[in-house]
Amino acid sequence: MRISARRLVLFAVVLAGTLALSGCWDIKDINHRSLPVVMGVKQIDDTYKVLLLIPDATPSRTDVKIISQSGSTIDEILDKIDRNMENKVDLLHLKVIIFERSVAEKGLSQSVESFMRARDISNKTLTAISVGALEPLFDKLTSSSTSDGTEMYDFFEKNAGWSPEVVQTRIWEVFRSMDSFTRDVVIPTIQPGLSTTIESNGAAVIKNGRMVGVIDSDESLLYNLFKGTGTQGKIEVMNHATVKIVADRLTRSSELKEGQATMKGRLHLKVTVLETVGAPTEAEIKQEIDEQLSARFQSMLRAAQAKEADILGIGQYFRDKLSRENLRQWRTKYYPFMKIEFKVHVIIQDEGLLKMKR
Amino acid sequence: MKLPAFLESRQAKDSDLFLHSLFLAGESVYLAGYTSLIDLPQSIVMLRQLALNAAGAGKALFDRDSGVGTPMREPSEQEVLDALAAGDALICSQSGDRCLRLIPVGRTLSRALESPTTENVLRGAISAFNEDLDTNVGLIKKHLPSDTLRIRSYSLGQSQRRKTVLLYAEGKIREQLLQSIVQKLETLPDVDIPDLQALSDFFGFPKWALITRYNTSELPQEAAFALEHGKAVLLLDRFPFALVLPSLLSDMFVSQNDRNFPAIIMFSFRLLRVLGVLVNVLLPGLYVALVSVNPEVLRIEIALSIAGSREGVPYPALVETLLLLLILELTLESAIRLPTTIGPTITMVGGIILGQAVVQAKLVSNVLIIILAASTIANFTVIGFQNATALRLGKYLLLVLSAMFGVLGLFVGIVVICAYIGHVNTFGVPYLSRWKAGRRYG
Repeated sequence: MRISARRLVLFAVVLAGTLALSGCWDIKDINHRSLPVVMGVKQIDDTYKVLLLIPDATPSRTDVKIISQSGSTIDEILDKIDRNMENKVDLLHLKVIIFERSVAEKGLSQSVESFMRARDISNKTLTAISVGALEPLFDKLTSSSTSDGTEMYDFFEKNAGWSPEVVQTRIWEVFRSMDSFTRDVVIPTIQPGLSTTIESNGAAVIKNGRMVGVIDSDESLLYNLFKGTGTQGKIEVMNHATVKIVADRLTRSSELKEGQATMKGRLHLKVTVLETVGAPTEAEIKQEIDEQLSARFQSMLRAAQAKEADILGIGQYFRDKLSRENLRQWRTKYYPFMKIEFKVHVIIQDEGLLKMKR
Repeated sequence: MKLPAFLESRQAKDSDLFLHSLFLAGESVYLAGYTSLIDLPQSIVMLRQLALNAAGAGKALFDRDSGVGTPMREPSEQEVLDALAAGDALICSQSGDRCLRLIPVGRTLSRALESPTTENVLRGAISAFNEDLDTNVGLIKKHLPSDTLRIRSYSLGQSQRRKTVLLYAEGKIREQLLQSIVQKLETLPDVDIPDLQALSDFFGFPKWALITRYNTSELPQEAAFALEHGKAVLLLDRFPFALVLPSLLSDMFVSQNDRNFPAIIMFSFRLLRVLGVLVNVLLPGLYVALVSVNPEVLRIEIALSIAGSREGVPYPALVETLLLLLILELTLESAIRLPTTIGPTITMVGGIILGQAVVQAKLVSNVLIIILAASTIANFTVIGFQNATALRLGKYLLLVLSAMFGVLGLFVGIVVICAYIGHVNTFGVPYLSRWKAGRRYG
């Protein structure tokens, strides 16, 4: 096959065009980018302050540094940081965004919207709320960082240090709840630990992007059970025994009669007995689990209903039963008066190494 | 033309030509031939025996049915020279009016059967083709003792006559393929075929093709396997390998030798080769794409460790990769030319240079060395050196596209490569076709 002159010219034009138009000279190599892992947001009056935890990699080891800057919007702050940094700040790998409690109480809407709009921040970035001031938390993260500053990420990461009492909430879930009629979220609260780096003691209830209350760790576990997040490995302490949840399944049904919403929930648990105090029978253990979990669930729901915050997203099950006008009023008209029948059905799959009385 | 006079004048120009006068069956004759090709004493012994036999049967030496040789009737100069160049001997009478062409006892100018030099065999016959055409044909016949085997021989070229043999299995080969090949060969071209590029031109294959249209193999059993599965095999004199037509993608992954292993192991070998091709072609491009364009695809831990290893490297990822690839290609190329005694030294020096010093000098990152070493090793999992070299080029296309467009560029490159190999065909048989004997294509 002979290559004609026309073909050669075409080839040259394509090659030159590709080289000239690709824009590949704007590409920055990975070692010329700063990859913040954690971002902290706090608010002082009307100005925001942003802290970035940036791993600083060298061939032998990785240090961690904290960069902070204040300004009137988060975008402006990031711009300022980028201007002053020797590398390009690249938020692609941002894993966790921590809000100070005061920010959450004033409202997260503005910042969450700007995160969602920013193209380089992943929508699945995790959120957390710092109970105290941000600076001590970040100092703790820096001082206890042994590897590359990913402790905070590992804390929430399912295949690393996550435990079932910790809620995982992504930034898109917060964004979704801000405009939804029937769904609110909880965001885990954290603080620097005494011996560990981080301590989590529950979660904040967020209604329309504003923090209205808190739930504790045990309630966070129930929240996770209700959401269907795998809770295997959880140890449940009672008066007579300690059990480990091996598998869980939730069935629910909803009913709306004469403006009265009713929800039936049935939680099926498979458990392994780890430890007993005294000599309880299987039936006693089953009953105790049912009573304890149901009572805890009811109390969590009462508290949420009082705040009109539908953290479990129960309103979702009534969407096909209510008109759009009524849905708008779900939080005020139906949810606070909703009745829920919650039963826990327990199967003791394994008695462990113990002999138990029938 | 007076033959003895012509031979004498030729002898003045070509000292290799001998003109030996002797008596055969009471007649004084000249024996002519090339010293380098003919074992003279042995040939004279043989001739005397033949002449005695002829005399005993009452036949004259130069008779057609004397059994000594083929009479040549008033041969032209070219005919005489062709006969001599082919290694035959000539006997002509003193007067030069009669002439015989006969096959003498030749010198052994080929090596003995040896094991293959570029294709290792773990299980299976290990004798390989050598330079002698007849030996090669014989080897194939030994491996394929079948009455369906057909052999056609041709002599190609004008100034160099290259003997070429086409083998196929009657009833197995697809008729259209056979016709295309035979038609080409029977045009008996005037162009010489000193190398495979010339052969490729002669068959009308594109000159700038990345993929050779014939698969080469040193192993008789591979050739026999191809024949049995309806492919055509071409043997050229002085080429120690068989050319199998058409070439297919599966030639890269499937070897007849695999069938000497249990089926599961055979399939895992083939899977491994496919993986090897993917690793070889994709890995350098993927590295550049992930390091410079799309680092968000990496997990944070590995992103940080790569960033750490690249700290202080002065060049962008593309230049860094190209630099090290160049050194690797140089190593590969020089390894072919190195005398075997120096080989290990160069391997050691190359290993130290590539493995340690380059990283310590901060010219490249050590992750890149891992990537390129893996890619180079993976390159040679495919069957056939010619396939491995074709793959080596493909990765540069992906590399450049990845450097410009990241992961997207990598995929565009894969599409381009797939489109290219999709259009390749040999005598109408698509390169991507799944070959089965007797099946129709196109």
